[in-house]
Amino acid sequence: MEPISSDFEKELESLREKLAEAEDVRRAITRGEVDAFVVGPGGSGRVLLLANAYQRYRQLVERMQQGAVTATANGHILFANQRFSEMLGVPLAQLYTAPLESYVSVSDRARLSAFLMVSARDSHIEVELNRRDGANIPARLSLASFADGYASLLVTDLRPMQWPSVAVDALDSIRTSLEKLNHSLAGDTPGRDALRSISDEINGLARMIDEMIDVEGRAERKGSL
Amino acid sequence: MNPANGTAGDKWNLRLYTAGQSPKSLAALDNLKRMCEQHLPGRYTIEVVDLLKNPRLAKDDQIVAIPTLVRKLPEPLRRIVGDLSDTERALVGMQLKQQK
Repeated sequence: MEPISSDFEKELESLREKLAEAEDVRRAITRGEVDAFVVGPGGSGRVLLLANAYQRYRQLVERMQQGAVTATANGHILFANQRFSEMLGVPLAQLYTAPLESYVSVSDRARLSAFLMVSARDSHIEVELNRRDGANIPARLSLASFADGYASLLVTDLRPMQWPSVAVDALDSIRTSLEKLNHSLAGDTPGRDALRSISDEINGLARMIDEMIDVEGRAERKGSL
Repeated sequence: MNPANGTAGDKWNLRLYTAGQSPKSLAALDNLKRMCEQHLPGRYTIEVVDLLKNPRLAKDDQIVAIPTLVRKLPEPLRRIVGDLSDTERALVGMQLKQQK
């Protein structure tokens, strides 16, 4: 019997590896361990998902203005959308598998942990998120769904909701300054006229802000019914 | 550890190909994280490649089904297809455990 050449042995080994890989793919498919496939030649591959509706849902999540996070019950991030990454100022790739609590203020971590363990649908908590640049963001985490042991959370930046009250404070401060100025302009008619027109503008802004607060308050009360 | 797979101090470089947050992709990442924490604490990095965002990257590691885990380091390169729910099989595939 002729000795087996090393080239033949290498080819045989390569074929064995390819066969094992093909067998691994077949096994994973028959056991239902995969839910997407890459199809198409070479670099023009496309991903086909087994659930057609999923991609539309995903695009919605990717583009929405709220943060979205899916985490395990013990708080490891399995998925986050671009908005959440922007809220934290942390690249998306760094968020995968990171503990969600590492981006939450220390004082809020125990509450977050309890929230994820209980995972009651439609519940929410408010926490301070820690941005990478050191700033804090008040945020509301709302549990959108809990399935297969994973919690899907919506993250709302609460800062815009605080802006009207910040504006009211600023306007009050301007009014106080204007009153002082008014006293010091006694006898200066053109100066007082100019001041009155500034004061009218300020009052117009204040009314707009009051209306905004009123509309938001009504929406919030409606949402909580 | 199998001597063919480097020493106990080697850094493990793992790449998981996913399809967004499809259920099997999430399960694979969860299972992988758990296995790594148990068997490779402090010695591994996981790179998640979302093929829905960039399907062309599938070519690099000849990915056909998702999720697929690729062990880049230590060499030799190994591929494991599926959600890694069969821990024994996954550990053998990653060569963290000898086949019985």
